Amino acid sequence: MSFAFTQENTIRMASLLNRYAQKKALSLPLLWLAQKQEGYISEEAMQYISEFLELPYMHIYGVATFYTMFRLQKGDKPIIEVCRTLSCELAGSEEIKKYLKENYSERYEIVEVECMGACSGAPMCTLDGKYFENITPEILDEVLNAD
Amino acid sequence: MKIIVDNNPIECQEGALLIDVLLDNNIKIPHFCYHQDLGADGNCRMCMVEIKGQKRPQVACDTFVCEGLEVSTNSASINEVKRSILELELLNHPVDCPICDQAGECKLQDYYMDFGLYESHLSTPKTKKSKHIDLGSNVMLDQERCVLCARCTRFTTDITKTGELGIIGRGDQARVAIAPGHPLNNPYAMNVVELCPVGALTSKDFRFQQRVWFLDSAKSICHGCSRGCNIIIDYNETKYTSEKIHRFRARRNNAINHSFLCDYGRLSYKELNEKIIAAPCNMETLKELLQAEKKVALASPSLSLEQLQSIQEFCKNYKIELFSLPYIDESFGDDWLKTNDKSANFAGVKELGISTCQDDFNSSFENAEIVLNFDHALLKQQVFKDKTLVHFTATPCEGEFVFAIANFAHENGTLINCEGVRQEFFGTKYKSDAPRLRELLEELR
Amino acid sequence: MQTKIVSKNFDIPHAEMLEVALQNGRYGSLEKLSTLKPQELIDLIKQSGLRGKGGGGAPAGVKWQLASDFEGTKYLVVNADESEPGTFKDRQILAKDPHLLIEGIICTCQAIGANISYIYVRGEYEEFSAILQRAIDEAYEKNILGIGSTYKVDITVHRGAGAYICGEKSALLESLEGNRGHPRLKPHSPEPEFYFGEPTLVNNVETIASVPFIVQNGAEAYRAYGTKESPGTLLFAMSGHVENPGVYEAEFGLGMWEYIQKLGGGVKKGKKLKAVIPGGASTPILPAHLVYEAKLDYESLRDLGSALGTGGMIVMDEDVSMVKALKNLLRFYRHESCGQCTPCREGTSWVDKTLDKFIAKTATHEDLEILKSVSRSMNGKTICVFAPAASSVIDGFLKHFESEFLECIV
Repeated sequence: MSFAFTQENTIRMASLLNRYAQKKALSLPLLWLAQKQEGYISEEAMQYISEFLELPYMHIYGVATFYTMFRLQKGDKPIIEVCRTLSCELAGSEEIKKYLKENYSERYEIVEVECMGACSGAPMCTLDGKYFENITPEILDEVLNAD
Repeated sequence: MKIIVDNNPIECQEGALLIDVLLDNNIKIPHFCYHQDLGADGNCRMCMVEIKGQKRPQVACDTFVCEGLEVSTNSASINEVKRSILELELLNHPVDCPICDQAGECKLQDYYMDFGLYESHLSTPKTKKSKHIDLGSNVMLDQERCVLCARCTRFTTDITKTGELGIIGRGDQARVAIAPGHPLNNPYAMNVVELCPVGALTSKDFRFQQRVWFLDSAKSICHGCSRGCNIIIDYNETKYTSEKIHRFRARRNNAINHSFLCDYGRLSYKELNEKIIAAPCNMETLKELLQAEKKVALASPSLSLEQLQSIQEFCKNYKIELFSLPYIDESFGDDWLKTNDKSANFAGVKELGISTCQDDFNSSFENAEIVLNFDHALLKQQVFKDKTLVHFTATPCEGEFVFAIANFAHENGTLINCEGVRQEFFGTKYKSDAPRLRELLEELR
Repeated sequence: MQTKIVSKNFDIPHAEMLEVALQNGRYGSLEKLSTLKPQELIDLIKQSGLRGKGGGGAPAGVKWQLASDFEGTKYLVVNADESEPGTFKDRQILAKDPHLLIEGIICTCQAIGANISYIYVRGEYEEFSAILQRAIDEAYEKNILGIGSTYKVDITVHRGAGAYICGEKSALLESLEGNRGHPRLKPHSPEPEFYFGEPTLVNNVETIASVPFIVQNGAEAYRAYGTKESPGTLLFAMSGHVENPGVYEAEFGLGMWEYIQKLGGGVKKGKKLKAVIPGGASTPILPAHLVYEAKLDYESLRDLGSALGTGGMIVMDEDVSMVKALKNLLRFYRHESCGQCTPCREGTSWVDKTLDKFIAKTATHEDLEILKSVSRSMNGKTICVFAPAASSVIDGFLKHFESEFLECIV
């Protein structure tokens, strides 16, 4: 299986090239682009990026494994991230996590993450990258059952 | 200019790296990540020293010397700092020295004996990582033994620029790795084993063969090509086995190979262990053969200057035309250590004025009745109906007249490399089964 | 009690749209900018006493001078990798008044002689990056940015991807160059940062957002707020057990407790205050009695054995277990350590694992000693300040709340 960017993303890639002094700087932007396109970063995508940027495959792989937001495994469920750092824990993030795991594990992948910078809205979670702050079980039910 | 180290003045160059000054003056300074041929990375934090006027301990690998610098490497307080960092280095280490090939030449062991000697007070589970990972190119990785000094990754990134090795993950889950499906694959790969200060990277070729404290070492020169890389031959003889060479290691020489060897050269030690089974040869028969009119000799361009000189003298006495031809392999050389000329001493051949003309050799060879082959590969595997071949050989060779001679592991001698550098090499302390070439020629005088 | 310099437009609906932004004074400093030479601008910033608002509090003018004086292609990199637990101020600027940041970037680029600027936004702030990007696009369309503009500044939004350490400026630059975010060895003498070998200024979002006010109103106008050593304002933030968590801009030097009570509405549900982490997770905790003494400026908090940091206060009420709180923070540090330096990589993990024993109430006196000795091993022995920060957090908890840890010993 091979990887290629969509036409739209290829245009984006070309415009990104003009924004940086060296191609290497595109490592993160292109990993993001690949993840946006496919939902995760496949080995083929990393191969493509490493060839495009003329960097060893290991460089791209090392970078991809350093940043926690890059997903190297294909997931079959949408991801809910629950912040577990201090302000959220003080506001009851453990109960939120428990509630989500008990009620929504089948539909969603529930992961705990470190501080998301939404401490005034603790407890908080994200769904597909979107922030939900001051959450309660009731609010979660509402958001997660809305179609 | 001078600096003061542990109350002693030391002469050094302004702006030099402190760790280099310490190492060059044989002052003990523990370090994992720093390597004189890879440079500083600053990650292991082991080379801490006290510097007068500085509030905090500093790493010697990131300190540049200046006039009046006062350094302490062994005060009680700095030793305590080193002890505490070493404890962290060893914290999640499996301490499996009894089954680790690095034991005996492991920096963790050395430093523990130097200033560790503490009781472990780890009371929580160790971090688990992967073991016996085959990285390719004869290199095995044990992530649990790794101290993440990144010497290996810097080697493949900065030196070979092949980039197979890297660090993946983060924090206490960070580990050295290859990417799936992208093995270690470059002609210098095995250097990472030698660069590794601990038992994380071991050589498939050497592991489980010998405990290093049973090995003796000889300072030699690699004979794999004309670069003349400096090596150490590690060998031994046991009660029940005759002498065996177990490995070549790089011997640091800044003018030639720094601390590196190519894998081809590194593994060329195997040839030296091959037994030569030669039919017993009679010196008298040989002397009779030498009465013949038309004689030609071909000498290997990898023989030492001293050997070549003896051959020259011998040929002069017996009126034998002497030639030497280089070992050229256009596919072997690269832009670093490997050269297309795979002879160790072709420059020496030229210096001695031995003819290297292929055409002249061909015509002399055509007419010759007797051909003397001094270990040249060209003639070893060939049979000529109308000629009598006499081989003096250090490797297995078929033929009617074969005189086994000692190989370079049992010789002292001098070689001139491709850049005209004259270098001496020394043999092991054991006597070879076969006589030295010069002894044989002496008998034929 | 609030002083709105940076947050002036936060409550104006749609201030992120260029039209609204222009109506509310944005880009007002550019006229003044045209009358000032680059060195005059740098001097102005020096006179204003503006200090970096990302946590370190270093004088901004000095950094500007270093970048300006160094030969080469200059870059301005805006640090929007806001990841310090308890800190959520920069996102307010990105989302509510991105044009203020753009305006600040134009001023700063003019001062140091740069045309290229990157805003490194933490990956999680996807929504806010999108708002920022739209504002930048609008600014390009209206020739405020780009080749057709007066100052010819280009801005690129660069998204991080989940690594706290990239908030450390040299790690951020490594990341911006396309590498793993490993902090670099520190220079031996003052010099700018370097992006692909070129002199670079790295400043926090709020620092840059403070620049237009100073350019427009002068150094004295800025110095009119705050204290002598800590002039101006900061977007102080509050979270944890307060009635009204949020970001409230105030001048430096206010009483911490007064601030928490008046703007934060006091401790939640009328409970008693136990402690406050004053400026993001990495600043040592203050027990209640010190909170009552503390003033919100760099000097006061330093004198109390802590630091102002990012000004993001985490308020804890009487019911909080300090053992659990420390465990929470060490889990964070263990997770976020880049793994480069031995003391940090091994130390954060060891402390985190050891704290599990305290949580389980199976700890021993030796475990308490481990916490202390590992903390010592992490302090001042690494490339960057991540491990020393973690160390000071541990020390702070043990200094003020050791009894709670002793209670967990069998």
